[in-house]
Amino acid sequence: MADNASDLVVETYKLTKIYQNRQIALNDVTLRIEPGCVLGLLGPNGAGKTTLLRLVLGLHRPTAGWVRAFGRFMTTNAADLRRRIGYIPTNPQFPRHLTPISYLDYMARLFGLPRDVRKPRLASLIRAVDLLEASGQRIAGFSNGMTARLAVATSLINEPDLLIWDEPTHGLDPEARRSMLELIKSLSREKTLIVSSHNLGDIDEVCNHAAVLSRGQLIYCGTLQDLKGRMRRNHYELDLEGEQKAITKSANLIKALQDFKSVNLRHRRLELYLNDEAVNSSALANVLMTLSDNKVSLVSIRSVGQQTEQAFLDLVEKEESRGFARLYQVDDAA
Amino acid sequence: MDAPTAAAQVKINRWLPYWAVFQADVRQTLQSWVYRTWVFVSVLVTVGYSLYRYGAEHEAGILQSASHLVSDLLRWTLLGSVTLIIVLTVGSISSERGTMADSILSRGISRYQYFLGKWHARLVTILATFFVLGAAALVSCHFLLHEDLSLIGSVAALVMVAALLAVVSTCGVTVSALTNSTVVGITALWVAVYGVGIVLSFLTRSTPSPTWLLQVLPNVLHGHFSWYTVARFVGWSALTSAVAAVFGLGYFSRRDV
Repeated sequence: MADNASDLVVETYKLTKIYQNRQIALNDVTLRIEPGCVLGLLGPNGAGKTTLLRLVLGLHRPTAGWVRAFGRFMTTNAADLRRRIGYIPTNPQFPRHLTPISYLDYMARLFGLPRDVRKPRLASLIRAVDLLEASGQRIAGFSNGMTARLAVATSLINEPDLLIWDEPTHGLDPEARRSMLELIKSLSREKTLIVSSHNLGDIDEVCNHAAVLSRGQLIYCGTLQDLKGRMRRNHYELDLEGEQKAITKSANLIKALQDFKSVNLRHRRLELYLNDEAVNSSALANVLMTLSDNKVSLVSIRSVGQQTEQAFLDLVEKEESRGFARLYQVDDAA
Repeated sequence: MDAPTAAAQVKINRWLPYWAVFQADVRQTLQSWVYRTWVFVSVLVTVGYSLYRYGAEHEAGILQSASHLVSDLLRWTLLGSVTLIIVLTVGSISSERGTMADSILSRGISRYQYFLGKWHARLVTILATFFVLGAAALVSCHFLLHEDLSLIGSVAALVMVAALLAVVSTCGVTVSALTNSTVVGITALWVAVYGVGIVLSFLTRSTPSPTWLLQVLPNVLHGHFSWYTVARFVGWSALTSAVAAVFGLGYFSRRDV
């Protein structure tokens, strides 16, 4: 953890945004992002992810609380702070009559980059994002993938320390999505990233930290490993090898164990659903003992379900089931 | 996609963002259909009316004074072009809300620079166009009609009308920074401009107002005016523009986009 607040890339304190006294978009969000962190911002639709990102960028003003970036307060006029940030909005839109070169040149000028810096830089970026062939074409004729690549180039034109990408894989085909994820991985070696995405698989693959928003409240902020650790691991699949008779006998013995609420055998694959109270390590130890006693070999064992997704859904479900109890947590924290 | 490599620290030109917005907006304005309509209609009216007066003088032998023609054209500019100028200016910021605004305001530009860039771009485009069209009308009248124009008076008349157009343009950009809807902004400003014009017409004849300007234009074109009056009118217009701009600037720098 960064001991000094000025070492943090982004820090928010009791950040609250209420739109026109009608809609609470964000409520009391306190967040600290350290250098080198790749933060996945998760939450259902309308959870406040984009609002949080816009507040961090100074596009919106907080109703209460504050945002600091690189140790200084972010405001609507903090242009010098935004010079260190690269942003991709959801569904980025571009002036359709411009070419990628003229658009990137305009963006570079908005960052105050002099000609001898911006021209070589935009040329190398266009090459890096594979838009060299289309560099003379109007943006109007671009596909989703090309638009996304142009957005990436735009967010990197100022060589930022912090990248804020709002749903960067939205609307991309599998190949473009894979390419984007690889780019995020390589950028994460030298930059701090905040990536908002609905695709939990993407977050799982590229992020090392996660923040979960639900109805404007931050319900989790920490490492992705901790988030996965909260998951109820109660569904396992075992691939077995041996005589079918022995496998069937083992399955019947396992069904008799009290740790499991459901045991299904499909040819040589055994599906196990643990009771909520069961300790998974001891339950699985009993299963392995039973298999060993019956001379059944274990080919593979895996926990079923996408871990981050399950953990995320568990968190949101728990939060929503608490109802008025949410209020007490605030008091306790205070 | 390959991750680009990092580069050394570069020296930032702090006014480049303002200049970029200014240039982009001038280009955008020149390409807009509202601007082209305004220029086309103005040219059409000027040429048509000049030829009509020219025909009346040379074919029918009725003396046509250049000052009356220019005075009529400037009056029409004030009464007619203002609507198109309102449409042209109110869309400057409000039409760039949402993701398009995100793409610009999330970069290294302050709200102040963005507003100033937009305001100055519209102001320069509109006033430059007006001066070019006005000068062309004056030159054609000089050669086609009975010459009774004073050079100094013509310049003063153009400056006074330009001052009024500057007020309308500034108010347009300010309203654009205040509203989310361009249509609502246009309607509100149109009602306000013509409403204020009517209210000001009830003031005493010595008070500088649009109505007063329309009344004194023929005399000014003849060269019968005092510099103090012109300066007072331009000064009041500049002050009104400045107040409107500061209000718009302050509000826009504090609002969500």
